Amino acid sequence: MIHRTLVAAALALLPALAAAAPLSPEEVKNLVAALDDRQRNGGDYRALMYLEQKEKDKSDVVREAMVYRRDGDDKLMILFTKPKGEAGKGYLRMDKNLWSYDPGTGKWERRTERERIAGTDSRRQDFDESRLADEYDATYDGGSTLGKFKVHALTLKAKEGVDVAYPVVKLWVDQESGNILKRQEFALSGRLMRTAYYPRWKKVFSETKKADVWFPEEMRFFDEVEKANSTVILTKTVDLRPLEANQFTKAWVESKSR
Amino acid sequence: MQTWLIAWRNLLQHGKRTLLLGSAIAGVAMLLLLLLGLSNGTRETMLRSATTLSTGHVNIGGFYKATAGQSAPVVTKYKELLEHVRKNVPELDFVVTRGRGWAKAVSAGGSQQVGLAGVDIDAERDLRKVLVVTSGSVDALRTPGMVLMFEEQAKKLEVKVGDLITVSAPTVRGINNTLDLTVGAIAQDVGLLSKFNVFIPAQSLRQLYRLNEDATGAVQLYLKDVKDVSKVQERLRLTLAEAGYGVMDNDPRAFFQKFEVVNREDWTGQKLDLTTWEDEISFTKWTLTALDALTFILTLALLVVVGIGIMNTMAIAIRERTREIGTLRAMGMQRGQVLRMFLAEAVLLGLCGAVAGAVAGLLLSATLNALNIHVPLAVQLFLMSDTLHLAIHGGAIAFTVAFITGCISVISLVPSWWAARLNPVTAMQHVG
Repeated sequence: MIHRTLVAAALALLPALAAAAPLSPEEVKNLVAALDDRQRNGGDYRALMYLEQKEKDKSDVVREAMVYRRDGDDKLMILFTKPKGEAGKGYLRMDKNLWSYDPGTGKWERRTERERIAGTDSRRQDFDESRLADEYDATYDGGSTLGKFKVHALTLKAKEGVDVAYPVVKLWVDQESGNILKRQEFALSGRLMRTAYYPRWKKVFSETKKADVWFPEEMRFFDEVEKANSTVILTKTVDLRPLEANQFTKAWVESKSR
Repeated sequence: MQTWLIAWRNLLQHGKRTLLLGSAIAGVAMLLLLLLGLSNGTRETMLRSATTLSTGHVNIGGFYKATAGQSAPVVTKYKELLEHVRKNVPELDFVVTRGRGWAKAVSAGGSQQVGLAGVDIDAERDLRKVLVVTSGSVDALRTPGMVLMFEEQAKKLEVKVGDLITVSAPTVRGINNTLDLTVGAIAQDVGLLSKFNVFIPAQSLRQLYRLNEDATGAVQLYLKDVKDVSKVQERLRLTLAEAGYGVMDNDPRAFFQKFEVVNREDWTGQKLDLTTWEDEISFTKWTLTALDALTFILTLALLVVVGIGIMNTMAIAIRERTREIGTLRAMGMQRGQVLRMFLAEAVLLGLCGAVAGAVAGLLLSATLNALNIHVPLAVQLFLMSDTLHLAIHGGAIAFTVAFITGCISVISLVPSWWAARLNPVTAMQHVG
């Protein structure tokens, strides 16, 4: 009887043991590549997003923005539509340059690729196509749990010669769904700068890819240096139908802010 | 000469009126002189503070761009530049190098954007003279990882000596980095310049931005005579270009105001930017402009009041002296002579009043300077100093006396002309 109980217990533990087994470097590489691939569309992308910014000693600010991407050409546009004071402001990436536009002054300013978007804790990469496999080398930290989820913990280090905002990133990837649940980003000094949580993911079918494209429905960013600051980004709708051909131009952004 | 004597006697004869008008003129002259002293004092304080806190008389700064859209206020191979400066600037008194940076400082109590100045405290000649440390010691800057900040910053960040702050900034290549710093000293505020600037050891700045040993933010030149600034700037512009350095077009603004323009340009690599001390503090010039405007408006308003008073008083005097004018005219005095006589009275009155006002202004400014009066924070921002400092030079005194006397003379032209126009017969019959 005791023997049977032990066998049953061992059998019950098997999946957990299997999950905890370390991934080989090849499996880790494939896992990171899969993270990129799940979110990759290849064609056009349009999303309606809400950004809620919380800062110490300031009132909360909520912005509405349309995010447009043409991943094939590496193009990205963020156009703010609300509140009134922010409407018409936008970011446009063209030829590896990120430009910001202020309809108040009518001026375009070249910004660094890695700067905060609209002063929030979000950055360009949070809206852009995932390029983890291109930018980082990953190592496996082991299996663990994050709340009720069993996760793979990974450490990503920036590849030699690749400039990224954070040289070290830690990821917690849901073993079951394959979605990123948590992300921590570290400065060169090793200090933790930002923690992001992705509690909800959604998928939408892409005609271009002929497969599902996953996107985080909710992203929560916490500034780890200024602890009181945080930003929540909600993705309301995602549309993968083709966009206008001339959409990713300065003229288009300017026309929208008139 | 006779006209002047008559005028002088007339002034003495009407002692009460002369004293009243003279006092009003002296008051305006004194105020003008004090305001000029304040403006000069502010300018001098600004030069002294600025040229030690944030700029040399001439600066060789510049930008390094790893990519077109990512610029950093960095000058590479600065030792070669130092050699170039020593060879080409005989007007040089001494030279220092300063690291430059712009970062977010975060403490447990708050955060603020700060301009980082990376200094080698032992190489700084005058910095200690300008900084009035209220807590800690400037010597703390000898140790890497220390920071000297100003009182208002410390208050905003809620820190004291020994507390820790974190500064966060992207490196030249745009990779985020942080540095933990201990507050080593807190200094008295020195107006706008101390609102954003903090000092850290040059080594710590290099650590934050991951810079090489041969990189700095700016080479700051201090000249024997500050008047040579433009000459030296122009010469360096030519000789540096001839030596193969990329030199930016002249843009008379502080380095941190140029990021937008530099980022918009397509070049990458190193370009040097030559600025003067006035360029680097151009963002504070509004204080001097405002002070000069205030001086002008106040003086004008007082002059108008005093002018109307003088015209009125002279008109009354002419009325009182109508018969006297009639008699003088009947005795053969020409209209021009009458006009000159009244004009001379006004000039003498103006001159005496202005001289008295200047003397009073000088005494008052000396007293105020000796009292070392502390001014409120809002005024400190305006004056660039925590104490009231008035600087009255010979030029300002001469200007005040000449200006006030000139204005009074011009104002008195009208009543003098009225007097000269009087008909001798009518004037003699006048019953006053």
